[in-house]
Amino acid sequence: MELYLYLALFSPLAGSLIAALFGARPKTLFTGVVTSALLGLSLVSSTILLFYILGGGAAVHVEMMTWMATGDLYIPFGFLVDQVSVTMMMVVTVVSTVVHVYSIGYMDHDKSFNRFFAWLSAFVFSMMVLVMSDNFAGLFIGWEGVGLCSWALIGFWYHKESAIWAANEAFIMNRIADLGMLIGLFLIYWNVGSLQYDRFFEAVVTLDQSVLVMIGIFLFIGAMGKSAQFPLHTWLADAMEGPTPVSALIHAATMVTAGVYLVVRANPLYEMIPEVGYFVASLGAFVAMFAASMALVNRDMKRIIAYSTLSQLGYMFVAAGLGAYWVALFHLMAHAFFKALLFLGAGNVMHAMSDELDPFKMGGLKKVMKGTWIMMTLASVALAGIWPLAGFFSKDLILEVAFVEHHYVLYTVLLLTAMLTAFYSFRLVALIFHGEERYKEYGSHPHEAYTFMLIAMSPLALLAVIAGFAFKGSYIDMVTAVLPATEYHVHSPVVFWIMVIGTQLLVGAAIAYAYKKYQNAKIDKAFEQRPCYKVLFNQYYIPHFYEEYISKPYRELSHVAWKQLDLRVVDATVDGIATLFYKTGEQTHTMQNGNLSTMLRWMVAGTVLLLALGVAFTVGISVVAG
Amino acid sequence: MEITLTHYLILSTLLFAIGLIGVMRRTNLLMLFFATEILLNAVNIGFAAISRYYGDLTGQMFAFFVIAIAASEVAVGLGLLIVWFKRSGGIDLTTMTSMKG
Amino acid sequence: MMFDNILSILVFFPALAALLGFVVEKGSIRAYGIAVAAVEFALSLVLWYAYDPSVVGMQFMESIPLVPAFGIHYLVGIDGISLFIIVLATFFTLIGIASLGEVSRLKDMILTLLFLEMTMVGVFVALDAVVFYVFWELSLVPMLYIIGAWGGPLRIYASIKFFLYTFTGSLVMLVGMLFMAYFYHQATGVWSFSILEWYRLVLPENFQIWLFVAFFFGFAIKVPMFPFHTWLPYAHGQAPTIGSVILAAILLKMGTYAFVRFSLPMFPDASVFFMVPIAVISIIMIIYTAMVAYAQEDIKQVVAYSSVSHMGVIVLGTFALNVEGISGSVFLMIAHGVVSGALFMLVGVYYDRRHTKLLSEMGGLASVMPHYATIFGIMVMASVGLPLTINFVGEFLSLLGFYKQSHILTLLAGTAIIVGAIYMLAAFKKAFFGTVTNEANRGLKDVNGRELFALIPLVLVTVWLGVYPKPVLEPINNSVESIVSLMHEKAITQEAKMRIPNPSQQEAASGGSH
Repeated sequence: MELYLYLALFSPLAGSLIAALFGARPKTLFTGVVTSALLGLSLVSSTILLFYILGGGAAVHVEMMTWMATGDLYIPFGFLVDQVSVTMMMVVTVVSTVVHVYSIGYMDHDKSFNRFFAWLSAFVFSMMVLVMSDNFAGLFIGWEGVGLCSWALIGFWYHKESAIWAANEAFIMNRIADLGMLIGLFLIYWNVGSLQYDRFFEAVVTLDQSVLVMIGIFLFIGAMGKSAQFPLHTWLADAMEGPTPVSALIHAATMVTAGVYLVVRANPLYEMIPEVGYFVASLGAFVAMFAASMALVNRDMKRIIAYSTLSQLGYMFVAAGLGAYWVALFHLMAHAFFKALLFLGAGNVMHAMSDELDPFKMGGLKKVMKGTWIMMTLASVALAGIWPLAGFFSKDLILEVAFVEHHYVLYTVLLLTAMLTAFYSFRLVALIFHGEERYKEYGSHPHEAYTFMLIAMSPLALLAVIAGFAFKGSYIDMVTAVLPATEYHVHSPVVFWIMVIGTQLLVGAAIAYAYKKYQNAKIDKAFEQRPCYKVLFNQYYIPHFYEEYISKPYRELSHVAWKQLDLRVVDATVDGIATLFYKTGEQTHTMQNGNLSTMLRWMVAGTVLLLALGVAFTVGISVVAG
Repeated sequence: MEITLTHYLILSTLLFAIGLIGVMRRTNLLMLFFATEILLNAVNIGFAAISRYYGDLTGQMFAFFVIAIAASEVAVGLGLLIVWFKRSGGIDLTTMTSMKG
Repeated sequence: MMFDNILSILVFFPALAALLGFVVEKGSIRAYGIAVAAVEFALSLVLWYAYDPSVVGMQFMESIPLVPAFGIHYLVGIDGISLFIIVLATFFTLIGIASLGEVSRLKDMILTLLFLEMTMVGVFVALDAVVFYVFWELSLVPMLYIIGAWGGPLRIYASIKFFLYTFTGSLVMLVGMLFMAYFYHQATGVWSFSILEWYRLVLPENFQIWLFVAFFFGFAIKVPMFPFHTWLPYAHGQAPTIGSVILAAILLKMGTYAFVRFSLPMFPDASVFFMVPIAVISIIMIIYTAMVAYAQEDIKQVVAYSSVSHMGVIVLGTFALNVEGISGSVFLMIAHGVVSGALFMLVGVYYDRRHTKLLSEMGGLASVMPHYATIFGIMVMASVGLPLTINFVGEFLSLLGFYKQSHILTLLAGTAIIVGAIYMLAAFKKAFFGTVTNEANRGLKDVNGRELFALIPLVLVTVWLGVYPKPVLEPINNSVESIVSLMHEKAITQEAKMRIPNPSQQEAASGGSH
């Protein structure tokens, strides 16, 4: 099995390096093909590992070589394939293979085609390191690696100022969170003496509660950055500057779920500190609602989907925070499939509309883009959580978890959010695909994407439909071998059915309302003047706040530090001391006017001074001595 | 009244003060030499007096030594003075500023 | 044995070659310089090969009495700490000479560099305080000459500032050394300037504190630590590329190296006493200079200030006073040498083409010079401390080590990874991204073979030691362990004993977990 582990891990790296060799050259199709093929290899290896684990095989654990060893610190490159990581590996390889193949079509006309594939495969490699590592340091390698690739891919079109700005914002915000994570690692090391997962989880029971809380908080700060939780969430929407396949792979399916993965992976820790878990869940519920509300009015197709991702990440954190780790992971998987599908569909639309992002300028596209329409609708249905698609099984489960654990506030928030989700998803679908063909006013000539792109997307569509009912049973059997196997059942069947059907009805109503309202949407000027619209449209003025009160003061302070402090105070002091000597010399050199009389007088004065000092010193000594 | 060591030392000090003032105030090079001689001889008186007081001949030896040095100093000094007079036509100190810093 | 005199050969070969170089013809001086530097580099690799990491203590020692009456010896030797800085010095001299562009008075430049190489190697092999001091001061001369003769318009000001500043510091250090020798004489009745002898001396705490301060001045100005850092931006701003490269890669390391070589083992109690103030200074260095770097308009100054910021992490790691932190900081000395040297070289590549270093003149270079942008990008990422690059290993270990001493201070120092990313990415964005706005940039040639010859090895080292730091980290670790256990033994106060963990005990307690 080790061979498959290495194959799954390193074939994306190989693909990336091959593509990187041609990075600066004009488009060569084979880079796309080779990287996709190598990813396919990685997918096959992961699948073999999955079946091996499903068949009851023991977790595969290898230690490749030493990374860092000094003092008592020993960090190897160690990799672990167990029930949790194999799930993540499947998600990563499936989505990334689809995205790679899709990108061959999507990036067809881009002159930096090769560079794109180099970075995309490098991302997959980093993500695999992240999920497969057997220690926190290895996780951190992947963590930073995906950050780097995300930076490079958001800023892929580097001639665009906004893209680079978004890339740097993402990188720096993640760095802020990474500091928290680093501190978490330091805490673990100095309390446990090792960064290996198994050593840490064994030691968890013996550690102080306060230490555990600190570790839990700092690790979660790391997770907040990568998973774009409030208040570090602004980068995710801005990250939509990157090419759409990147948004699908990195900013929907995989990288942003790394935070959830971290909490799931560290479940023995969070089991011990339910208060931190409750905070995680509350923040998750808040973000779910908060992000969904911003998606309601936004007029940028990709940003709407990004907010939706944010909101779903909130759901996952609710589950993880409440101790339902397997539920969180299940939603992570289901979400990866339908959200990636949604993004790829949006990519098709963008292509068709020559990179237009405002759904109000589209409408009626279902006639020309039938395949895309079907897939995006499927994805939206799945996202809304309609039975029997994937979203129903995973999202309803989270609602049940909140209910069963008696967190009724969280439950209510999540229920409301579910309605909002359905509303904004179908607002988008209605605006893009239904109603009048408004795009004609803007002179667009939409066309369907290449057929092979649609075929590439179809596995995701299939998974979005069946992942729920087909995989749930075997999935639960598998992951509960390592995750706490709590079952979440509402005890009274009546309550259960009321909840399920009630939720379905509410969601259905939201969908219907969205269709009705936006099928023939005109831009409603009066509505746009309302304060609540403005607040939502401007993302609660949070980016504005960051710019005004953090970025700008930092810039100004930097300038002050340089011009005023460094040059005027620190350096000027040094120069001042030098000038002091120089000036003293300049002033006193008149003493040496060459006149012998003057010199003699100075000589006498000096002698007298020295004599006086000598006398004073002697007297002083004798006085002190008594 | 007996003349004690104190009187000698007072004389020495007075002569030294006169010499010092001469050194500081005089601008004529020749007068400067005179003042220097007074300084040296003030010290010599001190040496001789203390030597007598302690009954130790070293002080008097030193006084002779100083006289010898003073003589040679005057010899060299006057030689330089004459050269300087030949070159510049005067021996006023205020004109000698070639060592200006 | 063939390695008996290898250190002396390593020290004096470049100087002798430089003297011989005066008779070499102008046309062949470049080849001569490269050949000499290559031989020297090969010698240092042989040294690395012959070095036995399992041996505790100094290796390849040589001792020749110079002034026996005062116990001054020509005493040299290396351990894991100095070994790699020596290799780094010879490596950078080689690629520095090889990558020299068209400079005026090429012969003088190459001979100066060879002379500088002698002083650099000399500082790191010296085990006698007087010999150390001589090389330490001698290293100023060629650098002064390089800045003063080949520098920019403000070169005289910059070089004098550099010289006087560091010279003042080292005079205070010299006083400290003399006092130390005096104390040694008082305690043992014999004179000795041997550092190894000094190690054995247990000083009372108040003596330690005074001596620590005296040494600190010399080292801190060299590092340079806040607020003594202002000579550095001028020196870098005016120095030619090669001067900045050597200055950043090697000369600054003398200060931090000297902390590890002198301050820690000689004054363990004073080190504990000054740990918090020095950590605070380090944090000021990290954050404050990072902010200053962010405000710069000249890309070379960005790199210059970033050096100060990174040196803050190195000093912090040194004063972690445990094996993890000190090993990390020594490793970071190497790492920072490689990365900042490479960055200065990269700035030089653009400067050679356009004779400007202003960020406002750049912009959109990624599309004009893709290979240049790629290499620059790798180095920027190494500089911000991305895992699997050389810098991360050092930064991670330094911060990890210091975390044992103080949580809050480490948290503050850890902002290095944030502020570092801010100024580096901002500068990288201004220089390389966006569209080409400056017509003068449009026809620029990408990096040429000569430049690649210098840059590719640096990239390889950056990645290699980031992925597999063991060959370097292990010898460092072993030498640091012996220093830390020495400190633990020598410590007088209870607090110092507690703050400086004994590595051998630690290992025994954890039961040889690996």
